[in-house]
Amino acid sequence: MIANILDGIIFGIQLGLWAAGLTLIYGLGGVLNLAHGQIAVISAMVLAFAMDAGLPALPASGLALLVGGLVGLFLDLTILRPVYRLQGEARVLLSLLLTLGFAFIVDGFLNWRYPGRALSLFIGGGAIDILGVPMRRGSLLASAITLVAFAALFSFFRFTTLGRAVRSVIEDEEGARLVGIDPARIMRLILVLSGVLAALVAVTRSMVVSVDVQAGFGITVLALIVTVVGGLGSVSGALLAGIILGIVNVIAADVIGTFMSLVVLLLAAAVTILIRPAGLLGVEE
Amino acid sequence: MSNRGRDTRTARSRWSLFGPIVAVGTALAVIPLWLDHSGVLMGVAVLGLAFACYAIGFNVIFGSTGQLFLCVGALAGIGGYGGAILADTVGLPVVVSILLATLVSCVTGGLLSLIAVYRSLGVIFTGIITLIFTLTFDALLLGLGSLTGGENGFLIKAGADTFLRKRIPPYYVMLALVVAFLLLHGLLRRSHVGWAWRALRDDELAAELAGIDVARYRVYGALVGAAMLGLAGATYAFTEGRVSPTTFGFAQVDVVVLVMLAFGGIGTLLGPVLGAATFTIVDEILIEFGQLRLVIYGALVLLLFLFLRRGVIPTARDFVAKRRLSQASAAPD
Amino acid sequence: MLEITGLSAGYEGNDVIQDASFRVDSGEAVMIIGSNGAGKTTLFRSVVGLLAPSLGAVRYEGTDITGVPAQRIVRRGISFVPAERRLFPRMTVRENLALGAYPGRPDPKTMELVMDLFPRLAERQRQRAGTMSGGEQQMLAVGRALMADPSLIVLDEPTTGLAPKLAADAYEALGALRDRGLTVLVAEQQVPLAMALCDRGYVLDNGRISTQGTSAELANDPDVRRAYLGIT
Repeated sequence: MIANILDGIIFGIQLGLWAAGLTLIYGLGGVLNLAHGQIAVISAMVLAFAMDAGLPALPASGLALLVGGLVGLFLDLTILRPVYRLQGEARVLLSLLLTLGFAFIVDGFLNWRYPGRALSLFIGGGAIDILGVPMRRGSLLASAITLVAFAALFSFFRFTTLGRAVRSVIEDEEGARLVGIDPARIMRLILVLSGVLAALVAVTRSMVVSVDVQAGFGITVLALIVTVVGGLGSVSGALLAGIILGIVNVIAADVIGTFMSLVVLLLAAAVTILIRPAGLLGVEE
Repeated sequence: MSNRGRDTRTARSRWSLFGPIVAVGTALAVIPLWLDHSGVLMGVAVLGLAFACYAIGFNVIFGSTGQLFLCVGALAGIGGYGGAILADTVGLPVVVSILLATLVSCVTGGLLSLIAVYRSLGVIFTGIITLIFTLTFDALLLGLGSLTGGENGFLIKAGADTFLRKRIPPYYVMLALVVAFLLLHGLLRRSHVGWAWRALRDDELAAELAGIDVARYRVYGALVGAAMLGLAGATYAFTEGRVSPTTFGFAQVDVVVLVMLAFGGIGTLLGPVLGAATFTIVDEILIEFGQLRLVIYGALVLLLFLFLRRGVIPTARDFVAKRRLSQASAAPD
Repeated sequence: MLEITGLSAGYEGNDVIQDASFRVDSGEAVMIIGSNGAGKTTLFRSVVGLLAPSLGAVRYEGTDITGVPAQRIVRRGISFVPAERRLFPRMTVRENLALGAYPGRPDPKTMELVMDLFPRLAERQRQRAGTMSGGEQQMLAVGRALMADPSLIVLDEPTTGLAPKLAADAYEALGALRDRGLTVLVAEQQVPLAMALCDRGYVLDNGRISTQGTSAELANDPDVRRAYLGIT
């Protein structure tokens, strides 16, 4: 049971980090990126092929993160351009439709060219005892990396001028402009960052389970639900919601089986949204 | 004198509603003349009509009342699976099963709308709640395998020996649904309901201030649209003779319907049919591309929303209006 | 220093401001007075780059800055304090002030000046901006604008929502800034307060500048007296 809960927490933190990218993009500019999962998959494939080509795991992972960031930048420079010209709900809708179109292209291409291809980074060595529970080395490394990434993210927002500038745009875009912050550049920065994070989670995820070419939409949908439950625009909310849903997921899977656990997870999410539309840590408007 | 003037005006306005619907119905009615040699092509045509029904239903909910229901497939699936289970497992007559399943779908749509309205969820949150509903529905289909046949679905025994499984009649059954849905939507748009819908789409706050019960008209839209989806889903399931998760899957139904509607023109009466016809043909052409089909679909979605955001019908209407205007101003009085 | 000529601006093709011209010289304090809905906010928004003017020009220290976006105008030395203040409510007072100096680090001297001017802010550096009173938020908004070390500070109705005592305090602080050589442009409905601070002023009436003059001249103008000073 404890082993399962630990697994759930690890999965939850990873979900949280995926959701963090989505939630930041939404909070900054009312843009929903439905190609988030595809960025993760592209990066995973880059890593798989780089390692096939003989690149050691570490530089290959670096390459995967770089590619993740570049895809984010690409979205900002191309299909999101017309989105930025709109306001309000029209903006969210168009962003959702255009990124969905992009996601189709990526999914279709990868499944056509590399059907069934998957990335798994198995970390060797025996299990290590944590609280009397044997944990696989891969899981431990994955959760360590994810936690460090979260800590780095939080310090960035708390202690750096640029991080504060990002928060200021989320809180009041016009106020941010008045102190000299260009919201468009902040948005670009965060799209790159969210691409890197998506790639990072794909890499760490592949240390626990394999990440295949079809994983994209599943990732996006889970991240979207975590984002909404945590509160749009709130990174700490994403982490909290990720962990809660991660635990709910493993416990429910244990008790009633995989498909039904998904139902429980979804209902938990729906109930949270209905009780608190702003999300767990979101701000009521 | 004045009375007669009004009569001709109502006659003309009635014709402006019925005319296009009759034209579309007639055009679609002759299609089997060319396709009846091929069971496969007839199947494609029937599916195309089912999509036209779904697109009309979704248009009533999203186009007319602005509620982004990302559960078109799930509501149609409630109709399809519900009808099939009621007829096969419970043993009710086919017609009763279809009607009961439609009712369940209708009530479900109404409840979803009620929740969205009651919690005053915006477009995006309505979208996410209904998306969660879709995912839950999918998970239930897989989880309740003994009832639903899991990921393979099941063959429907009821109605197997009726005209619903012949080659040609299903086409006309679905076509009748399309025409009926168009008429219903058209008449609703002309009634006080349609007037309230337009008001709340234009400016929700102003509509509220003008004394329109926005919540109630939203729920009306969802009830009507969901009933259409359920009825079409159930009828289609019986003509197909089988149901499976992909028959009503999110990627297979919702995404496609959204693209069809956006192409034809969201909120227009005939846009859904135009979109469904176009994309049924496009899909048939692309079928040989296999997985690449998804790439082409994605590219089409991008192009559509980048360059034809309002859809074919509104764009064409604007174009015609502009030409008339320039001709009128060019012509000396 | 700042020169506006023939400026028209508005929303969705309807110009709220029509053909407005005025100037502010270095070291001056200038007021734009007008009633609610006269267009003061629209005028200022188009001056500081939050709204692109449809006609006319904004020149600042000899350069044309018409249509330059707000985030660049502030770096040229014009800080704007909007009536709604536009603070970052979930950040602390100190974080708000620090962001005023974006993209640089906050200059300790400027920070000290702001703390001297508004001792309340010094006491509440760790408090979240959104939890402060209206008067304190106004101080913070002015303080944040000062952190950019501007040459010209533009304030839109700095007394909005303030009790009379706090409104007077706000103007006292502006007087102190002016004495330090900062140029001030302020839009105000509470005309007596603004008159005590400013050298000159313009009257904005239905989107047009109807009258101008020194504060003394305006105080003796019968129309101004009737409309804004409550004297017949």
